[in-house]
Amino acid sequence: MSKKVLLFVFIVLAMVMASCSPKAAGSGVPAVCEEDSIGCAKIPAGSTIKLGMGAPLTGDYASFGVDISQGATIAIMDAEPIGDFNFELVAQDTGGSGEGGAAVANKLVTDETVVAIPGHIFSGSTEAAMPIYEKAGLPMLSPSATNPPLTQQGTSVFNRIAFTDAVQGQFAADYLYNKLGFTKIAVMHDGGAYGQGLADVVREEFTKLGGEVVAYEAITPGEVDYTATLSAIAANNPQAIYFGGYVAEGVVLANQMDQSGLADAVFFGCDGTFGSEFIEKTGASGEGAYAASVIPPESQAKIDFDAQYLKEFGVEAGSLSPYTWSGYDAAAALIAQVRAVAVLGDDGNLYVPRGALVQAVRNISGFQSITGDITCNEIGECNTAGPTFYIVENGEWVEAK
Amino acid sequence: MKTSLQNSVRNGVVFGVVIVFLALIGFLVIAASLLQKMVGNPVGLTSMPSAASLLVFLGFLHLWNGWRVSHNKEDIDTNVPLKTRILRGLTAGVTTGLFLLVYALVVGTINERGVDMRVYLSMLSSQSIDFFLFNQSPLVGGLIQFGFSAAAAVVGAVLAKFADSGKDKVKSIQKAAVAWSDKSWLGKVKTNPYVSYVLIGVVLLLLVLVPRQWGAYWNYIMGTVGIYVLLGLGLNIIVGLSGQLVLGYVAFFAIGAYSFALVTAPDPHNLQFNFWIALVIAVLVSALSGVLIGLPILRLRGDYLAIVTLGFGEIIRILLKSDWLKDFTLGPRGLRNIAGPTLFGREFIGDIDFMYLIILAVLLALFIARRVQDSTVGRAWLAISQDETVAQATGVDTYKYKLLALAIGAAFAGLGGALFASRNQFTGPEDHVLMVSINVLCLVIVGGMGSIPGVVLGAFALKGLPEILRELESYRLLVFGALLVVMMILRPEGLWPAKRPNLEVKQPPPEPETDTRPAAIGGGS
Amino acid sequence: MEGTKRKRSLTLPQNKSGLFRLIAAVVVFALLFWRVGAVATVSQFGADTWLRLAVSGLILGGMYALIAIGYTLVYGILFMINFAHGEVMMIGAFGGYFVFEAFNAIPVTSADGTTLSLLNSYPILAVFLAFLVGMSIAALAGFLLEKIAYRPLRGAPRLVPLISAIGASIFLQNAGQLLFGPQRREYINPDLLTRGTGWEIPIGESSVMLTYTGVFSLVLSAILMIGLFVLVQRTKLGKAMRAVAQDKSTAALMGVDVDKVISQTFVISGLLAGAAGVMWGIHNQLINYFTGFLPGIKAFTAAVLGGIGNIPGAMIGGLFLGIVESVGPAALGIDFQLKDVIAFSILILVLIFRPSGILGEALAEEKV
Repeated sequence: MSKKVLLFVFIVLAMVMASCSPKAAGSGVPAVCEEDSIGCAKIPAGSTIKLGMGAPLTGDYASFGVDISQGATIAIMDAEPIGDFNFELVAQDTGGSGEGGAAVANKLVTDETVVAIPGHIFSGSTEAAMPIYEKAGLPMLSPSATNPPLTQQGTSVFNRIAFTDAVQGQFAADYLYNKLGFTKIAVMHDGGAYGQGLADVVREEFTKLGGEVVAYEAITPGEVDYTATLSAIAANNPQAIYFGGYVAEGVVLANQMDQSGLADAVFFGCDGTFGSEFIEKTGASGEGAYAASVIPPESQAKIDFDAQYLKEFGVEAGSLSPYTWSGYDAAAALIAQVRAVAVLGDDGNLYVPRGALVQAVRNISGFQSITGDITCNEIGECNTAGPTFYIVENGEWVEAK
Repeated sequence: MKTSLQNSVRNGVVFGVVIVFLALIGFLVIAASLLQKMVGNPVGLTSMPSAASLLVFLGFLHLWNGWRVSHNKEDIDTNVPLKTRILRGLTAGVTTGLFLLVYALVVGTINERGVDMRVYLSMLSSQSIDFFLFNQSPLVGGLIQFGFSAAAAVVGAVLAKFADSGKDKVKSIQKAAVAWSDKSWLGKVKTNPYVSYVLIGVVLLLLVLVPRQWGAYWNYIMGTVGIYVLLGLGLNIIVGLSGQLVLGYVAFFAIGAYSFALVTAPDPHNLQFNFWIALVIAVLVSALSGVLIGLPILRLRGDYLAIVTLGFGEIIRILLKSDWLKDFTLGPRGLRNIAGPTLFGREFIGDIDFMYLIILAVLLALFIARRVQDSTVGRAWLAISQDETVAQATGVDTYKYKLLALAIGAAFAGLGGALFASRNQFTGPEDHVLMVSINVLCLVIVGGMGSIPGVVLGAFALKGLPEILRELESYRLLVFGALLVVMMILRPEGLWPAKRPNLEVKQPPPEPETDTRPAAIGGGS
Repeated sequence: MEGTKRKRSLTLPQNKSGLFRLIAAVVVFALLFWRVGAVATVSQFGADTWLRLAVSGLILGGMYALIAIGYTLVYGILFMINFAHGEVMMIGAFGGYFVFEAFNAIPVTSADGTTLSLLNSYPILAVFLAFLVGMSIAALAGFLLEKIAYRPLRGAPRLVPLISAIGASIFLQNAGQLLFGPQRREYINPDLLTRGTGWEIPIGESSVMLTYTGVFSLVLSAILMIGLFVLVQRTKLGKAMRAVAQDKSTAALMGVDVDKVISQTFVISGLLAGAAGVMWGIHNQLINYFTGFLPGIKAFTAAVLGGIGNIPGAMIGGLFLGIVESVGPAALGIDFQLKDVIAFSILILVLIFRPSGILGEALAEEKV
């Protein structure tokens, strides 16, 4: 017994020893670091400038995390080094949970060479990570955390290029009622924060405009048989089904509408259901389905990106999640800001003033990217433009008139 | 002779299949890059690790292959002649090598034709295949792999020879050292009653000092471990002591976290209770929910109880995120701005403060768990877990005691949940998934069922290990799952098995060969 | 069965609570029926909707039943929850997927000059091979799983193999993700089994579609279940399995090779899971590494619902669970999001009033 305790004590002692590495004071520190509100990140000669990402790399949402981090990897490959300093992406697994998000954030802030965070991916994990980055002074630019309250908490570090449910939902309701002239719709969502947020806004706005929401149902994500839910909705004879959620469930819904008595209803998705995977996996039953997106249909930047993505990872861009382009943009925008503020010290090390970087990211204006120009407002919403609506015609997404 | 060669071939096949599997999932690449990182030469973004690091990693496996077959159970003594050993190693190495050769030829040829195999096998990029073939043609690369496998296995087999002959010597030295230390100082220390107090003092001192030293990341990880110790202690009471298999333990964790969050968060109810009052509420609500859930279902036994409680866990999670309760729980968005602890007007929300709080909670829980276990109640639980029918027949009110176990276990979970929510300042339905229940159950059993130090060790293994495995990125859960299986096979009784008070009628001591494992706990036989 | 009854009558409180439970059961089920009646009278659902819901539930239930049998077989013999069974099904689903992909990739030009894929030229062969491959791979997985993760733990405390099974499940899931990638893959069916098409049954003004894939999987699961029932009841292997389930040591004394029988049980449960996996792909189109997890949990629930260790129980439990999931929310007038809440609540209710499932335990007698 006592032997075991002794052993334990030794282990703990060893851990303490290991954790107290002495900190070397540097000379040749540039003046900006003295003035900076937070201080500088010192990147020693020979190391890389790191962008940290918290993403679900395992578990049932792994496809999102893997895809977005791969998009960001391409941005890193495209980035010119600053002097001899290359960029590097450190993607850590959050498992999609808040707990994992906080663990990753805590891990990333211990590494001084991590300067910015193109993430996190899901709102829960972002929520838990935010206060930790706030304390450390690491700017975030999330490609896909869409939960509206995230930007309303007065943090200086959190920004996002994903557009919020509130904006998109309003546009979608308007489009359904005024453009398409529907008066009876059913609203569905996948039970997640993102889908439910959208569905709520659409229901509210559509009713306000004078339409009737005849059914409101949520599905369990990850399942592949929604015929029961759809059949129950069919009994109300809606003209269209609005769905807030992701492409995985969107595909299943669109495919099973016919056999559930909804052959005449239109499937109307969101930016989560946009992308090549929807067309690939719905085939004929996807014809006439709508979706929203911020991605310009075929800009040169997008074509180049898609080609490189296919070459590097062997799958089509957008077949894993609809956010891979946003992942690229978030990383690219952050890299540009790092480049703008970084200072090469006299001692051969690179210094990144953290306070200035946080400011620079919040002040991003007119940054050219795949998903359009990025301009952040004072609370960190960098994508306030309305979405464009698309329709599937002959197996292609075309802009809906 | 024949059987030993068969054994070698079998071993070679296993190693061949495993290495091919590792190559297919891209594990060889990440293992090699980790090795390279360890020697301080990290791999660039787009490039592959060096061939040397691959050879080192594969070399380990091949050496092990040879080592394993070098001597086997059928050998009467360890003194197997070198020639036999080499032959065995060669057989195993060649068998493994054949697998690698065939794999190299198949994959290499397809790759040379320019087919991108990642459409079906996501990790098998052209680069990683070239890496496996050392940038040679499929045949040459395959032959290198083949030769290396055979050679390294022979070396492994030879090494085992020396190790075997050295083994006895090492053993005798070890024995002498232990005898000497027992005689001179360790024996005195062991028997001295004050030593344990001193040790406890040292541990307590360390618990105070360490959180100040190791920074926010380790405080966070160890805080999580601490919260899982709380959960583990609670579930240990239910599963380990009273023998009721509960698979939905996360329900109580969720109830604790949410009731704490709901009374402290500004949204949606704006109650903003004080931290300590909220903590008490969370614990009480969880305990009460344990009683309420237990009332109808505790008559069920074994796996029926397991699945029913699993159902309860799912019901709670689905209700928390449902549209139906959205106005009450905010649905999938979860609750934010949850209060941190305050004392005499000062806020304790730093990572060090929280670590102290968790340590205090864990110590308290350890104390309670210990006291309860040794009390009359604990003996009643022991009786129930051994044989419920007999316990009832001898006058134990099994229903009452099972309910008590569930209530206490739930209260522990409630405390853990409240601390968890308070520390993250956020909680949502995704924090309370089935995997939490499974993790807690695993840590109780991995640690050693019914054993309090086992729970602590188990929590370190289950929550600390995945953090250590973080470097493996998307491979970490794969490795974790495999380790879980290996851990169970090597130590089925747990890392630190419980020393049960032997209250039953004394049985004749079991024979060592037939009974190497402890009697079934939690409703064996 | 007799044994349990005797023990129950040992003490008085049990009898009193038995009466209490009977009253509670009557009250609860009366409330349930009242609610269903109330919803049905005001419901806007017509007969066509109810039929659609029932059909959807029946098809889903058939697949649950097939997976549930795997749990029940293993449980009946080893008294352990084979947590990795859902992953075995996932492996089977991938096996069938690759057969279809291969068939789809090869073009065949027929005599009249039209070019079809091999899949559509020989659809029956393709489907047969997909099942053959999927089932064999899953059976192999089941066999290896037992050999590697469970056999060394024979005789260990009862929960230890469960943890090993959980570890194996995590391992297989992640291996699936790393091997085949995180994306969902689409089963390309032969035209014969195009999804979303089927027989239209006119009901009143509208019509209800019975999809070909749905009917196909329901019929196939029925055939497989009957086959299994015959195997267990009539063959020598079945007899051995039942003997091992009753008492391992006595069975061994009677000359039954217990280890071999256990291995064979895992192979059989793997075969059924593989068939369920291929069916899952054919009917539900999309599969990925996570495919097995949810159906696995549901099927386990179904097995317990029917009485674990009881083969007809698993079938009834599966069908019952499928129907409750799809008809339940509509009948009770509750959100479909809460269908699992209803399913689990029904499970709890059934178990409170019938503590060993609908049909009770049969493969073996009492276990603690």
